[in-house]
Amino acid sequence: MTQAEIKLCSLLLQEHFGEIVEKIGVHLIRTGSQPLRVIAHDTGTSLDQVKKALCVLIQHNLVIYQVHKRGVVEYEAQCSRVLRMLRYPRYIYTAKTLYSDTGELIVEELLLNGKMTMSAVVKKVADRLTETMEDGKTMDYAEVSNTFVRLADTHFVQRCPWVPATENSDPGPPPPAPILVISEKDMYLVPKLSLIGKGKRRRSSDEDAAGEPKAKRPKHSTDNKEPIPDDGIYWQANLDRFHQHFRDQAIVSAVANRMDQTSSEIVRTMLRMSEITTPSTAPFTQPLSSNEIFRSLPVGYNISKQVLDQYLTLLADDPLEFVGKSGDSGGGMYVINLHKALGSLATATLESVVQERFGSRCARIFRLVLQKKHLEQKQVEDFAMIPAKEAKDMLYKMLSGNFISLQEIPKTPDHAPSRTFYLYTVNILSAARMLLHRCYKASTRKVSEGGSHHCIYAGYRCRGGTAPRNRGDDHSP
Amino acid sequence: MAEVKVKVQPPDADPVEIENRIIELCHQFPHGITDQVIQNEMPHIEAQQRAVAINRLLSMGQLDLLRSNTGLLYRIKDSQNAGPVSFFLSKMKGSDNQEKLVYQIIEDAGNKGIWSRDIRYKSNLPLTEINKILKNLESKKLIKAVKSVAASKKKVYMLYNLQPDRSVTGGAWYSDQDFESEFVEVLNQQCFKFLQTKAETARESKQNPMIQRNSSFASSHEVWKYICELGISKVELSMEDIETILNTLIYDGKVEMTIIAAKEGTVGSVDGHMRLYRAVNPIIPPTGLVRAPCGLCPVFDDCHEGGEISPSNCIYMTEWLEF
Repeated sequence: MTQAEIKLCSLLLQEHFGEIVEKIGVHLIRTGSQPLRVIAHDTGTSLDQVKKALCVLIQHNLVIYQVHKRGVVEYEAQCSRVLRMLRYPRYIYTAKTLYSDTGELIVEELLLNGKMTMSAVVKKVADRLTETMEDGKTMDYAEVSNTFVRLADTHFVQRCPWVPATENSDPGPPPPAPILVISEKDMYLVPKLSLIGKGKRRRSSDEDAAGEPKAKRPKHSTDNKEPIPDDGIYWQANLDRFHQHFRDQAIVSAVANRMDQTSSEIVRTMLRMSEITTPSTAPFTQPLSSNEIFRSLPVGYNISKQVLDQYLTLLADDPLEFVGKSGDSGGGMYVINLHKALGSLATATLESVVQERFGSRCARIFRLVLQKKHLEQKQVEDFAMIPAKEAKDMLYKMLSGNFISLQEIPKTPDHAPSRTFYLYTVNILSAARMLLHRCYKASTRKVSEGGSHHCIYAGYRCRGGTAPRNRGDDHSP
Repeated sequence: MAEVKVKVQPPDADPVEIENRIIELCHQFPHGITDQVIQNEMPHIEAQQRAVAINRLLSMGQLDLLRSNTGLLYRIKDSQNAGPVSFFLSKMKGSDNQEKLVYQIIEDAGNKGIWSRDIRYKSNLPLTEINKILKNLESKKLIKAVKSVAASKKKVYMLYNLQPDRSVTGGAWYSDQDFESEFVEVLNQQCFKFLQTKAETARESKQNPMIQRNSSFASSHEVWKYICELGISKVELSMEDIETILNTLIYDGKVEMTIIAAKEGTVGSVDGHMRLYRAVNPIIPPTGLVRAPCGLCPVFDDCHEGGEISPSNCIYMTEWLEF
């Protein structure tokens, strides 16, 4: 955890949850996993408050707990999960584009509350939707449930792990911390609920006397005493699935930029077909036959089978190498090369940053060194057709910005500078990591600006703009 | 009666005759003849006479003395060099062998020229002597000094009437030791425009995708012809020059290249393959980080809360947020 990341986490926690949670959270991020009493002692807060803060953090999946030997329970904060809070608006927006307002509100409720039961979500979303609708119309629970089921089917929401029901009643003392399990097939299983009802419009009680709302509130709480049918089955937003979606979007838009609209639609179809079947960290999608792709194309696209075959061949032959041909059965089996695609996107991001910061001639030198791997000063000038003085200046600028590094190859055992080869090279992984760190720092600037809503939104966009590339950075060779 | 040993003088023992015979032999074998060959031809001539003849021919500059792994070779000097050499000899009849040696070394260097230090190594003459000789030869207009484009302080010497090689002058991109960047830029843009329009027309033709893609490619030969016809270059450009320009476009990320196998006879193919170029779009728009001021800020590393430069008083940020 770099300093910049810790600072960013502390700002995020403070904004969302307040000072106490921020103190506990940052302490945990800095020191790793610790038991309860040590946390209380080190941060100087009362045990009660520490417990409440940990509850909040665990509810939002930001802290996990483990039982160590001798029965001590240790809490560990997940820094990367805290940083994902920056992307909440983007997740909500994605749900809106895919499942319209209902989906947007469901995901928003789940993100803001951490974990919720399905019935609670449905009720709340229906209430909120009813308020925005015209007078007299209400939102039916069934509609909201349908959207929820669809979200679960496409794996955007998943069940939280739960305590397994023990068959034999164990008379011994309960374990210090419950062990939560979940099996793969249960993760997206929606319980059979019959949620009947309509959204309630919250009546504004402005005209009533001040005493009235107080009387109303206890009545509301008694209304909720009825038993909840799916008690104990909690749902959370599946962030990995959203990241997979962003990745797919980036690949499709890259193909659209490089080739044409039809090719990008074909790639989108292929990715949609492998959404559920391929794990998110796999290097290739499952092989898809050309016949299957033809059948799954969206309805509006009526291109003939031969044209589809031609497009697939073109995609497979393209120097981009996003699509590969893995066999000939079924009219040709095609896979999408995910790791290569993400690597190319990460490289393109690097090149774009160099271009914007230093100019297009520097970008030319950067791409040249990237392609040729190792080059001498003289060769750089010759290949890039840039006069020697300027080329030298640009190389040194990029060197001090840590985009390019020098490799020394000595000719003699004493590494005399006059008898050593100095080769320029680009280490993609370290350059990408450096850029990521800069992104975190820049986000900190924006979040800490405070006040202006614009700047926080801009910060999210900036961060969100580079978010999918992060996965590429992890995977690029 | 005392026997008088009469040395029978063979009819062609005349020294001039010997020389002529040797020259004839050399013409017969332009790669050079060894002493053995001469001996076989004229077995009746003694070694001493042979040696005298050969030395005379050498000093007259009509024969070249070479060393091969079998021994010494004598080769006729071709007529091209015979001219200036006789000219040279006529000029400096009595000049010392050192100058001849230096001249020979420079001549051997061909059109790449040779550096003065290398001349020193090859001839083992002291530096002062070399400098004197070089000045002498230069004033007699037999050699000239050419500035090398690689190291601007270095001067290489070559024969007066030779064209310097490309590696010394830099070829088409250098005029008088100056790299012509505007010329390169103009060529760059012209080539890119040509490829772009070709891709546009291919895209608009709306035929099936295979044909569309294939027609958006242009071979390096086509681009070369287009540039020649444009006539923007006063220097004659070869196909390799155009290929170096197209490579810079590849490094700009605007063009991609494929190599296909082509029959030997087709126009523009080199060694059985052809290079095809195509204009492409970048795969991502400018990334998010650089759209915010922090991505391009020159003092990013100095910026932190509470310092002179901090996010709260950042002028770039306030300007940017004023939308």
